[in-house]
Amino acid sequence: MLFFQSLISGILIGGVYALAAMGMSLVFGVMNISNFAHGELMMLGMYMAYYLFTLLNIDPFLSLLIIMPLTFVFGYVIEKTMIDRVMDHPSENQILLTVGFGLIMSNSALLAFTSDPKILTTSYSSSSIALPGGISVSIPMLLSFLVTCILTAALYLFLAKSRTGMALRATSQNREAAQLMGINVSRMSAIAFGTGTLLAASAGAMIAQTYYIDPFAGHIFLLKSFTICVLGGLGSVIGAGIGGIIIGLAEAMSSAYLSSDWKDVLVFILFLAILLLRPQGLFGKKGEQ
Amino acid sequence: MKQSVVVIALFAAVMAALPGFLGDNPYIADILITILMMASLASAWNIVGGYAGQFSFGHAAYFGAGAYTTSILLTTLNPGIPVSIAAGVLVSCVIALLTGTIVFRLRGHYFALASIAVAEIVRLTVLNLDITGGAQGILVTKVSFGSLDLNSKVPFYYAMLFLLLVTLGISALIYRSRTGYYLLAIREDQDAAASLGINLYLFKNIALVISAAIASVAGSIYAVYISFIDTSTVLPLRLSIEIILTTIIGGIGTLWGPVLGAVLLVSLAEALRSNMIGEYLVNTGMVSEGSATGAFLKSNLAHAHVLVYGIITVLCILGLPKGILGFFRRKGEA
Amino acid sequence: MKKKLLEIISLSKHFGGNTAISNVSFNVEEGLIVGLIGPNGSGKTTLFNCITGYYSLTSGSVMFDGHDITRIKPDKACRIGMVRTWQRVKPLGNLNVLENVMIGAFSKTRSAGESRKIALAQLDLLGMSELSSNTAGDLPIGLKKKLELARALATSPKLLLLDEICGGLNNTETLELMETIRIIRNNGVSIVFIEHDMKAVTGLCDRIVVLKSEQKLVEGTPSDITGNHDVIAAYLGKGYKHA
Ligand SMILES: Nc1ncnc2c1ncn2[C@@H]1O[C@H](COP(=O)(O)OP(=O)(O)O)[C@@H](O)[C@H]1O
Ligand SMILES: [Mg+2]
Repeated sequence: MLFFQSLISGILIGGVYALAAMGMSLVFGVMNISNFAHGELMMLGMYMAYYLFTLLNIDPFLSLLIIMPLTFVFGYVIEKTMIDRVMDHPSENQILLTVGFGLIMSNSALLAFTSDPKILTTSYSSSSIALPGGISVSIPMLLSFLVTCILTAALYLFLAKSRTGMALRATSQNREAAQLMGINVSRMSAIAFGTGTLLAASAGAMIAQTYYIDPFAGHIFLLKSFTICVLGGLGSVIGAGIGGIIIGLAEAMSSAYLSSDWKDVLVFILFLAILLLRPQGLFGKKGEQ
Repeated sequence: MKQSVVVIALFAAVMAALPGFLGDNPYIADILITILMMASLASAWNIVGGYAGQFSFGHAAYFGAGAYTTSILLTTLNPGIPVSIAAGVLVSCVIALLTGTIVFRLRGHYFALASIAVAEIVRLTVLNLDITGGAQGILVTKVSFGSLDLNSKVPFYYAMLFLLLVTLGISALIYRSRTGYYLLAIREDQDAAASLGINLYLFKNIALVISAAIASVAGSIYAVYISFIDTSTVLPLRLSIEIILTTIIGGIGTLWGPVLGAVLLVSLAEALRSNMIGEYLVNTGMVSEGSATGAFLKSNLAHAHVLVYGIITVLCILGLPKGILGFFRRKGEA
Repeated sequence: MKKKLLEIISLSKHFGGNTAISNVSFNVEEGLIVGLIGPNGSGKTTLFNCITGYYSLTSGSVMFDGHDITRIKPDKACRIGMVRTWQRVKPLGNLNVLENVMIGAFSKTRSAGESRKIALAQLDLLGMSELSSNTAGDLPIGLKKKLELARALATSPKLLLLDEICGGLNNTETLELMETIRIIRNNGVSIVFIEHDMKAVTGLCDRIVVLKSEQKLVEGTPSDITGNHDVIAAYLGKGYKHA
């Protein structure tokens, strides 16, 4: 039974990891930038959900309708005003810029909200569905998983069917060629970053009932998202989706059968193992370096 | 080269004489020790990050590995300070080699990412083990070294100064040697470097190991100095990032940039922490104490030094990507 | 019969489903300049990347100086005496010209002073001495190409692989460079020479290999090539007049 319980919890939390990681992977694919502020963007989503609930009494899942457009615009503007200016700089400068931006975000949050962790409690925060065999499924986690599935499907349709989505994919495949084909790659970068921000913030909002909300809450998710992106093949959005579930499962299983103290260690060891054995990721194409 | 030797010697003389002028003010001594330590760490990072262009985001791991190895040895077997420091260096070098072996075959963002992962593995492992004291940390007491008074700050000032001088000496030597040229070539273009016969893998590992060894010694000295360590003081990601920022802000890839960065950032952090800046703004009448801004600044600036780092970093990257010294550096001084 | 320095044996290279090189074989004898020509995309640069270890071959093998070097690493290739230049130049941008060349020279000496001497001599030979302290990244493209050559030469190679080294040079400069390459050859360095400028190739090369659609079309002396109808039809086209 422990196995099935872990299986279910692993898949549910993995869905949220997947959502955050897909945002990072999209940014990576289109812009070829590792976004070190990704965790802070999740933190932003957590606080937005928290305050929309405590001040305006809007349910965290409903508040996504407000959070998503706002964070998209936020990401879009950040890309246009800061990141666009280092697009042709060495990757170290880009990384540092996002590090600096992340520090500004987390430490502004520290000044604004203090370091006291906040807890978002709704009427159903701690309720769960009991399945036969003593397995329980947390309602907020189940809801986040369902919403994640919807968002993933929407993202998939957007990338596969819409003009902008196709242009994004073309830019991701080959930036120069896309530019030659008349795609406005600079606009694509801004859209990708906006979408990445939106996805990170949504993931943050959805786990706001499950995790403590503090200015540095996104930190651990940054590293997890990186692990997932590398696992799925840097830049592969679908790979990130599957990678998220795998990491969720690996964590749940190691908490159950090893100890929860070591579950994060296991994730990072997995990360190094992938780099050593299959750096193109599980789903990346094997190609020339 | 000769020029660097002369400047380093001058710097050594001035710094060695400094405590004589300042008297034994423990507050000032503490700040100076912190400056020397950050300067050593940033200079060490500069060898792999600035010369070879391989941005390590996990240098806290080497600092922490040194601090922990030394502390554990001193509080258990107590083989003496030098052996304990050497053991720390050994542990750090092994971690560095493991990291390098895994990721230096890859290009691009992988090293940056993997270096964080390794640092997190080290931090979480230390947190979960018994021998390291877990979350409680380690109290490093009853340590002695010859007839030195380890309750005084003076020996630690000179220890950190010595470490910094050695680091600067090593950096200057490397910079003007074949290894240094090779590291610069790797930073500039890895394909070109390889086509000119440079074993990328070997030289990146050399740079990382030298850098890790120095960071480890800094950690060891620090552990004995503050006599108490835990993961949040010697192993946080924040420290890794501060080391990078110090180098960038002072001038990456230059000999004195990391030192300048350490002087600027440690002083700035101290000025903010002790609320000097907040009080200055109020005292000079730039903001009135009674106003909302005044009250906000006075109560918050003390916690804002990392925020200020963030702002400086963003401005530096957008404004002067080579750092303050890099910006003014003469081009082409071979 | 001269000694074979480089032997390329049935080399093929595929990228996923695309074939970039298919079953190409030829040799480079010691002391010769071999021209490698072919339309854009015919696999010339890819061939260099395969020989010097930047790409792994799909099939075939490569011998250098009697040793199998099929799976060699790029840096090792340089150390055994085979050095290449880049069509898309790769200057060490923030370093100056002298430092760029010194880095090449370090493959033969550990001493910075010694490598400086070698580098200065090399720059002198190419008439670039007065550029020593210019930042490599700021040079115009023609000079960047020349820097590629200087840097490669400083490694004292046995075999020099030049990839469109004349791009960005005007006619006089091209002629000068041809003369320099001839001197280099006379100093005992063998050369494989990728070039678009037919005049340069026919004037300079001892043998010419023509690639077309991933395959070797023909191989021969310059007069064989310029007289070959297939080549004229396939590659030289209308623009080329018999010299
Ligand atoms: N890294 C690569 N990945 C995929 N295709 C490649 C790669 N490098 C070269 N090619 C393909 O190989 C073919 C030969 O290219 P190239 O060797 O550059 O030709 P040339 O130098 O003769 O102009 C081209 O069709 C090119 O698109
Ligand atoms: Mg080519």
